[in-house]
Amino acid sequence: MPPEASAADVLRWPGVGPFLRWRHARTVLQLVFLLVAVIVVVHGLLGPQIAPANLATVLTWVHYRGLLVVALLAAGNFFCTGCPFVLARDVGRRLRAPSSRWPRWLRTKWIGIALFVGVLFTYELFDLWALPRATAWLVLAYFAGALTIDLVFAGATFCKYLCPIGQFNFVASTLSPLEVRVRAPETCRTCHTADCIKGRREGEGQRLVQRGCELGLFLPSKIGNLDCTFCMDCVQACPHDNVALATRVPGLELVDGRRRSGIGRLARRWDIAALVVLFVFGGLLNAFAMTTPAYAVERWLSRALGVSAEAPVLGALFVIALGLVPLLVVGGAAAVSRWLTGGATSWLATAAGYVLALLPLGLGVWLSHTGFHLLTGALTVIPVAQSAVVDWVGWDMLGAPRWGWTGLRPASVFPLQLGFVLLGALGSIAIAYRLAERDFPDRPWTAAAPWALAAGVLAASAVWIFSQPMEMRGVGLGG
Amino acid sequence: MPAPPVVGQPMVASVTLRDGRERPVLGAHLEFRGFMSHPGMAPIVAAAAERADGVYEGRLRLSMVGDWIIVVTGSLPDGRTLTRRIDIDGVQPPA
Repeated sequence: MPPEASAADVLRWPGVGPFLRWRHARTVLQLVFLLVAVIVVVHGLLGPQIAPANLATVLTWVHYRGLLVVALLAAGNFFCTGCPFVLARDVGRRLRAPSSRWPRWLRTKWIGIALFVGVLFTYELFDLWALPRATAWLVLAYFAGALTIDLVFAGATFCKYLCPIGQFNFVASTLSPLEVRVRAPETCRTCHTADCIKGRREGEGQRLVQRGCELGLFLPSKIGNLDCTFCMDCVQACPHDNVALATRVPGLELVDGRRRSGIGRLARRWDIAALVVLFVFGGLLNAFAMTTPAYAVERWLSRALGVSAEAPVLGALFVIALGLVPLLVVGGAAAVSRWLTGGATSWLATAAGYVLALLPLGLGVWLSHTGFHLLTGALTVIPVAQSAVVDWVGWDMLGAPRWGWTGLRPASVFPLQLGFVLLGALGSIAIAYRLAERDFPDRPWTAAAPWALAAGVLAASAVWIFSQPMEMRGVGLGG
Repeated sequence: MPAPPVVGQPMVASVTLRDGRERPVLGAHLEFRGFMSHPGMAPIVAAAAERADGVYEGRLRLSMVGDWIIVVTGSLPDGRTLTRRIDIDGVQPPA
């Protein structure tokens, strides 16, 4: 989509604009997140091993997870902007510059998808939400992963191809209202240095004084937010001050079939389509796994498989939820859509192209789930921090812990959850229609109907999940 | 506590304090604090009253199905603090 004439540029707004254009803005945000990460690791390893009373679990599974989704929906991928793992990596690169490039055959999302599944599986298998020490080790593992990969391979290899949080953020940010993009395309046509991607060099030795986009996104042909970490390196590098943080219609980039810098054509990226499937159905699974029926399903699977260990049972549940169910829903919608429209493209191409329409519903589900925990538990960080200070210094320097401070009552959050799911479903139907209108301008509703139905079925499933009683157990089978 | 514990039913949690010579510890100030296993959930708090020599009881009403962690915390007559963790797994829904 060409830049909208009416788009506003946040970089021109008073206050926030100069801050984001400040070359140290990202470092400031990263230092804030680094402080949070240090608190998570220290209290997770050394504090009380009770999830509601430990800053590691409270800050990670209540605040970070919830605020991440809110930020993506309200603004953009600013959690990647403030990523402390990248800060650590940048410090590490002052000691050891990477000398290799990520192999071309690995420049896909498949490893990132596998790691994302791995994190979801580990989260359920070991009940990471209940384990402060394990949560701390997870954070340390992210630091180790970013350092290990990015001290060997140049660019933002960990971010673009591996980081599970990054992959989540990239697909979710397709629905963000802000996008880093060129301000005036005609200015780029006269630019011969391409600093936005190559970086800016100065001096006799042409020393690199400002790096360009480490994720391989060339601004003149960058479309949308996929793979953009909102690092603002391009803003700093552009010698023409021609990069904007522009407002836009959320989700519309999913309809743009043009070739994207650093991505290619979305319709040919099976890996990104698989990532979208994981995002949508993983959100439903992650929410379902906290409900009473989930334990009944696990017990049934245990009997059916003849095993009592949780890992194979959970594995079977994951195969069903992330494999069979998407095959049925997405594959079924693709088959019906092809039948209704005459089958101009293959079944797989139809599925991969139109599964993007389910993203708004997926984000609605994630917002509903993580938003529930954030809204009902936002204030718990206060008594937990007060208690941590008592444990550390021996007296209630921040006051006696207010254990009664939590958040909204769960019953009052439920209507909001329904609203998030409904809005997500409506967004999915709208995207399905726009995709169909692009491909079948003479009969868009015919092509979109199966996908609208799929969105409706998934939305109904989400509503059912969120209306189930919550049951949180430290052990998956048998309590 | 009743076995298995049931959501919403008032329950009496009882702990007995004895010293190294198995004598009951009198005059402790204890509190029962019940945490769900998921962060962000409200703990339930109940003060413990001494019902018999060394026996302290508190009334709790567990609010959710699943696993709970009861932390008995407080101070002993000699000023020392006490913290003990008791895991209550598998709190059941009401019949």
